[in-house]
Amino acid sequence: MFDFLIQGFGVALSPLNLGLAFLGALLGTLFGALPGIGPINGIAILMPLAYTLGLPAESALILLAGIYTGAEYGGRMSSILLNVPGDAGAVMTTLDGHPLAKKGLAGPALGLSAVSSFVGATIAILGLTLFAPLLAEVAVMFGPAEFFALMVFAFASMSVMMGKDPTKTAIGAVLGVLIGTIGVDSGTGVLRYTFGMPELYDGIDFVVMIIGLFAISEILLMLEHANRKDSDGDIPPLGRVFVSLKEVLYCKGAMLRSGLIGFIIGVLPGTGASVAGAVSYTTEKRLSDKEGTFGTGDMRGLAAPEAANNASAAGSFVPMLTLGIPGSGTTAVLLGALMLYNITPGPMMFSERPEVAGGLIASLYIGNLVLLALNLPLAGVFARVLTIPRWVLVPGIAILAFVGVYQLHSDLTAIYLMLIIGVFGYLLRKLGFSLAPVILGYVLGGLMEQNLRRALSISGGDVEILWRSGISLGLWIAAAALLILPWLLPKLISKLQSSSKPLEQVEDD
Amino acid sequence: MKINKAFRHCSGLALLGGLLLAGGAHAQSDSTECIAPAKPGGGYDLTCRLAANGLQETGLIDKPMVVSYMPGGIGAVAYNHVNGVRKDDPNLIVAASTGAAVNLALGKFGQYDATEVRWLGALGVDYGAIVVNADAPWQNLDELMADLRDNPGEIAFGAGGTIGSQDWMKAALTAKAADISPKSLRYVAFEGGGEALAALLGDHIQVFTGDLSELKSQLESGKIRVLAALSEERMNGPYAEIPTAAEQGYDVQWPIWRGYYMGPNVDDEAYYTWVQRLTELSEDPEFAELREARGLFPMSRFGPDFDGYVQEQVGEFKALADEVGLRQ
Amino acid sequence: MKLAADRWLGVFLIGLAAFVAVQAVRLEVPFSYDPVGPKAFPLILSLLLAALSLVLVFKPGANGHWPNRALAVKLLAVLGVLLLYALLFTRLGFVAMSLLAITALARIFAASWGKALLTGVLMAMGSYFLFTHGLGISLPGGYWLDGLV
Repeated sequence: MFDFLIQGFGVALSPLNLGLAFLGALLGTLFGALPGIGPINGIAILMPLAYTLGLPAESALILLAGIYTGAEYGGRMSSILLNVPGDAGAVMTTLDGHPLAKKGLAGPALGLSAVSSFVGATIAILGLTLFAPLLAEVAVMFGPAEFFALMVFAFASMSVMMGKDPTKTAIGAVLGVLIGTIGVDSGTGVLRYTFGMPELYDGIDFVVMIIGLFAISEILLMLEHANRKDSDGDIPPLGRVFVSLKEVLYCKGAMLRSGLIGFIIGVLPGTGASVAGAVSYTTEKRLSDKEGTFGTGDMRGLAAPEAANNASAAGSFVPMLTLGIPGSGTTAVLLGALMLYNITPGPMMFSERPEVAGGLIASLYIGNLVLLALNLPLAGVFARVLTIPRWVLVPGIAILAFVGVYQLHSDLTAIYLMLIIGVFGYLLRKLGFSLAPVILGYVLGGLMEQNLRRALSISGGDVEILWRSGISLGLWIAAAALLILPWLLPKLISKLQSSSKPLEQVEDD
Repeated sequence: MKINKAFRHCSGLALLGGLLLAGGAHAQSDSTECIAPAKPGGGYDLTCRLAANGLQETGLIDKPMVVSYMPGGIGAVAYNHVNGVRKDDPNLIVAASTGAAVNLALGKFGQYDATEVRWLGALGVDYGAIVVNADAPWQNLDELMADLRDNPGEIAFGAGGTIGSQDWMKAALTAKAADISPKSLRYVAFEGGGEALAALLGDHIQVFTGDLSELKSQLESGKIRVLAALSEERMNGPYAEIPTAAEQGYDVQWPIWRGYYMGPNVDDEAYYTWVQRLTELSEDPEFAELREARGLFPMSRFGPDFDGYVQEQVGEFKALADEVGLRQ
Repeated sequence: MKLAADRWLGVFLIGLAAFVAVQAVRLEVPFSYDPVGPKAFPLILSLLLAALSLVLVFKPGANGHWPNRALAVKLLAVLGVLLLYALLFTRLGFVAMSLLAITALARIFAASWGKALLTGVLMAMGSYFLFTHGLGISLPGGYWLDGLV
């Protein structure tokens, strides 16, 4: 049954392909680490190169898959070190990753995130190997109604992030959703809030959004910190370099659960690493944050989104390989690469071109090991980014932000937008807002609206479609439980305790 | 110390000045550029890469062509950019497609209309297709159309674009061919053909109006049935079994051409150099392979011929949009 | 008594909500296949936003630390540099403009002239080669550097 995999390892372990997996991992880490330049760019740039070099199909795919998985590893670096997410999946990583770095634990944080990335990706690759065809069947069962229920669930799970200022968290999320409504309405083609500017037709680009919101506002805040006498020093202390086994084991639950969540969300076409990171983080916070340490540098809050975004990257290969349907923007580009080689992904691929399907999966196992081996020892080196003086670091961030946005748009309007969003982000942060709800609202809100309206246009306006299937019903119940239980459970428990006390006493006697 | 400092300032300023001058003087370069008015990896990227790889491999250009991205409004941002900023750049071509023509007709490209730019030519074409799940009750287009006439509200169409997009046009034209107003259809707009295809496989929608090239893998797996190709005649290769809509008595055609335009003030010399280049490229046997690898069928219209084709098409789309009340 | 920043924010956001709502109502929709349409979501959101902002107006949080005048000038200077960088990015080319922007930013962040210029030169050149030759990204107007190598 796993002949294709054995053959695949034969292919992937050839010197050329091993070298390419290594190169892909390295380049991918770099692409991911640079804010604004993500795996899609990396693949789109290197795909024609691989083709013109005359690499065989499986080798090209191994290189490109290495870039993809490498970028998910790399994206966390600037999240942890600079509080600027390197790519979409790494937004939630900033929440606990950056506080850890501020505490002088940048090295262990990088190491831990490498381990969690490895665990998450391994869970997903195992899932991909064992259950791919089965999962593909489940993935297509998710229609608009199910996605809408999933988004309701995601918003419900966000309620855990309300924190100390629920009003501001909610306002942040609403502002995020509102920003997401800018552009062509995907149902009717009507232009919303574009004010006649074609640059706004496609809405505000995700990269412009996160770079503006995080990177530009961070530059402004850095200036404040540098100029304040009572600030906690210019440069955080550089403590220990390596993560300890105890810390890794402390997070094992978070890693395993989040890896599973990330994989499932990655398998669904239409949701990606950013949703995976958000759901896993909020789930983990709900399950394990008894002391309220999440958001202040809790290792588990870092392990969860990292395991999830890597798992989701590998998970998105499932619909691509088995159905020929891209599960994410990046796999869409990979699909294009396969087409160049006249390979059509689908169930037939495993029997017709086992060297490609098997080689790709085998290279995911190998690439993942390479990435761990590459990232663990280098954690200490990367952590030194923090010791770079501000007057070098800030111009560096600015250049990366500009280049990242410019190469995506070749247009200055996007850069002006980025600056405006940056000032907006700075003001929000000064006013005590957290940026995560804004980003989550922006990502989830659009998906929620579109899928609700899609579902209702399928049913012709009949709302029953929203809970007709078992999947959506289950998600509705889960969402309701998330909202009601935290409020109900304490009352129930206290009731039970008060009523059970006499009983215990009786038994004791 | 003072001298040292002064020297540093002066040398710094001199260096700055020198760099600025050099930068200004050399900002223009002779290498060719193709703007893909989308994010990396999309259809427009593919269109640009087709020209870039083709021209390079056949030696029609000597320096590699630069591909840059300018996403926004299915090409609206790039159209405005070329009409406003780079009006006369002789080295710049921009990718376009039927989708751009549809939006030009709907007035979604801002103040500029289709006669503004210099349409260069098309190097390939894809065709629309009417697709149902393999388990669907309809074996041919006739059966679907009959059902559609009886219960237009029971059959959900889906595709990768909004109302008024080229993906929607395929569904609207199909409805019209069955004498049904496009407004009384059930139509679901997805984000890209892949999501719509997934919804078809999961039985969430009943009919998917997609493109032939994106169906290749699904044809082999046998999970879908293509009821009709919206082409003039039958395609060959894996598509040979698929009848056209016209064969089955419905006059619906939907070619999705992939071509290029240049700025409005580009002089004739540059324009015809490019027309010449693309014409030569299209006749090269090596190019046919490149085109096929991207899932495109042959199409060769260049220069004024292509310009006329685009204008005529935009006119037709305008009429259709007026009919269903879509014009803004 | 100074009005808390949150109150100002609340008032501003109520204004924003009104603007969003008015714009949504004025949308012209030729036709829609779903009963919700493009207006409903923004309208609900504007109501939510207005309600939440009212809470903010009546129960404002603590007034945060706002920058003093000297710092505000510096913040504006950073924004000014970034804006100029954007304005002249394509006109002067990547290398020249980056050199200027990096030097200026480094100066604002208290580097000496020498250090700032050195950073500017090294980073502008270095990043140009990293992006164009290492990562294959095309940048405006840096072509002339190719002649130097």
